[in-house]
Amino acid sequence: MEANQRILVVDDEPQLTRVLRRSLSTNGYDVRVAGDGEFALQTFRDWPAALVITDLAMPNMGGLELCRRLRAISEVPIIVLSVRGEEKTKVEALDAGADDYVSKPFGMDELLARIRAALRRKPPADPGAHILEAGEFRIDLEAHMATQSGKDLRLTPKEFDLMVHLFKNAGKVLTHRSLLGAVWGGDFTEQTEYLRVFIGQLRKKIEPDPSNPRYILTEPWIGYRFNPE
Amino acid sequence: MWPKLFNKPLFGYGAAITGIAAATIILKLFGERINPTTVALAFLLVILFVATAWGSGPAVAASFLGVICFNFFSLPPFRTLAIRDPHNWIAFVVFMITAITVGQLSARVKRRAEEAEAAKREVERLYYQLQDSFERSSQAKALKQSERLKSALLDAVTHDLRTPLTSIKASATTLLADLYASERDNAVPQLDAEGRKEMLQVIDEEADRLDRFVEGLTKLARIDAGEMHLHRQWTSIDEIIALALKRAEPRTRSHRMEVWIKEELPAIKVDDQALSEVVYTLVDNAAKYSPPGSPIRIAATPGESETIMVSVEDTGPGIQADVRDRVFEKFFRAMRDGDVGDRKSSGTGMGLAIARGIVEAHGGKIWIEAAEGQAGAKFLFQLPTGSDERPGANPAANKRM
Repeated sequence: MEANQRILVVDDEPQLTRVLRRSLSTNGYDVRVAGDGEFALQTFRDWPAALVITDLAMPNMGGLELCRRLRAISEVPIIVLSVRGEEKTKVEALDAGADDYVSKPFGMDELLARIRAALRRKPPADPGAHILEAGEFRIDLEAHMATQSGKDLRLTPKEFDLMVHLFKNAGKVLTHRSLLGAVWGGDFTEQTEYLRVFIGQLRKKIEPDPSNPRYILTEPWIGYRFNPE
Repeated sequence: MWPKLFNKPLFGYGAAITGIAAATIILKLFGERINPTTVALAFLLVILFVATAWGSGPAVAASFLGVICFNFFSLPPFRTLAIRDPHNWIAFVVFMITAITVGQLSARVKRRAEEAEAAKREVERLYYQLQDSFERSSQAKALKQSERLKSALLDAVTHDLRTPLTSIKASATTLLADLYASERDNAVPQLDAEGRKEMLQVIDEEADRLDRFVEGLTKLARIDAGEMHLHRQWTSIDEIIALALKRAEPRTRSHRMEVWIKEELPAIKVDDQALSEVVYTLVDNAAKYSPPGSPIRIAATPGESETIMVSVEDTGPGIQADVRDRVFEKFFRAMRDGDVGDRKSSGTGMGLAIARGIVEAHGGKIWIEAAEGQAGAKFLFQLPTGSDERPGANPAANKRM
């Protein structure tokens, strides 16, 4: 139990924040609640949380704007709560800087698991470091080599770039757009079929069962999530 | 109209020949005593008929045949094409010119008539086509609009159902996780008694909220279908307002309530429960949209021409003039231009639509004015007094809506 880690819950629905406050503090987190984005930003400045959970539709300042404003001042993990079916808003939130999303209505176990995953996510690697390691995977940025359980994965340069980007954002949901922009550059952000092909190739090389992936997970309509554990 | 066969030009020529021949035979039956003028007129009649029916070609044919027969049978010497008397030459030429002219003229008239008819038909066809396409385009537009409205309504309903469901689901799964933990060996339940109680309270309250929402939907559906039944009884506006304020008390505790009811207001025969719901909705909205500690002013005064006017006024941000009518539309709140980021999420977006339905079912009306101070909203509704005799009232119906 990671006791006393601070979580800021932002939602304008008092009954839900009531439940979240009780449930999260029972699970050993220190919880504060804000009813809108503006109040959340104020609270965050005085009380830097380890994680922010935010609703999207709120009066005054909505969740999207809050993600942007938080990203401007902090790398704090953000989990977005959104009503199921609003895929477009989710993608916008993720592009605005959110790390993950949970669809309403959600089970508390799911939210707690996402919170643990987000808090576990390591801070961005030291830019000087040239070795990335997680689970069975090891990437040597200087030697341009990726291995799984000590075995060379023989990645092509693009696959290598994609792998590195997934690796650096392990556990985080990456939208099609952000992946394309990061690996292929800004001109290709709409070409999701490129991405599908390269993800498919990468899966063939690293997944024990490429049709039932456990490392590179598909988030339908949104993007992908790399889970190295 | 003519059968198709009659319209063929060949049939026209046939008719010309037959007509002239028949006329000749009939005239011959009267012998040679018959006056050439009568014969000429009879032939002209046939030519006229042919020209009208089949046009100029058959008319010319009939004219020539007529001229020949006239000469052959009616102008001496008979049964030759020669004409002896110069007098008869004149008759013959006059007949010929008359026959051809009559034929041409009546054929032209017929053609004109046909052209006019065709033009008329064309205009009619264009008119119907235009009307049809207008209808189709407005139908498509209406369909599109109603589709859009439907999906907006569905979005609103979905959102309003999911919000309480989210709290219920979160509470229930918290309780379940706690229960599973306590069932496992060596695990201590994490929630204390207070926490379990709070989770259960949330489930209970949110279940009620869902129920109210569904109740609201049912009421709206009844109002839409015109099936709202009023349970009218004699009461006073004081009692209605008191009932509403009692119900709203938990929500107005932090506001300053100012009630001003003019004395000597007449008794009214209305559905007191329904109308107190209207007042409650207005007071609840006022409390929701104005800062704590600010006043909410409720007034009841006599209105124009045997009416009672009730107003609820707050000092909140008020309602912009351009949306004052739209706030009475159902789900208006949630439909505000689809801008979810700016949505006020409290309320169901049904309260004011139901309030309007109730007031209108009583033969009254409800509207919004700018508040008398510089800020705030002022909701007013007007009820006819002695409304038991009014059209639209249904004294036989005694089911509570």
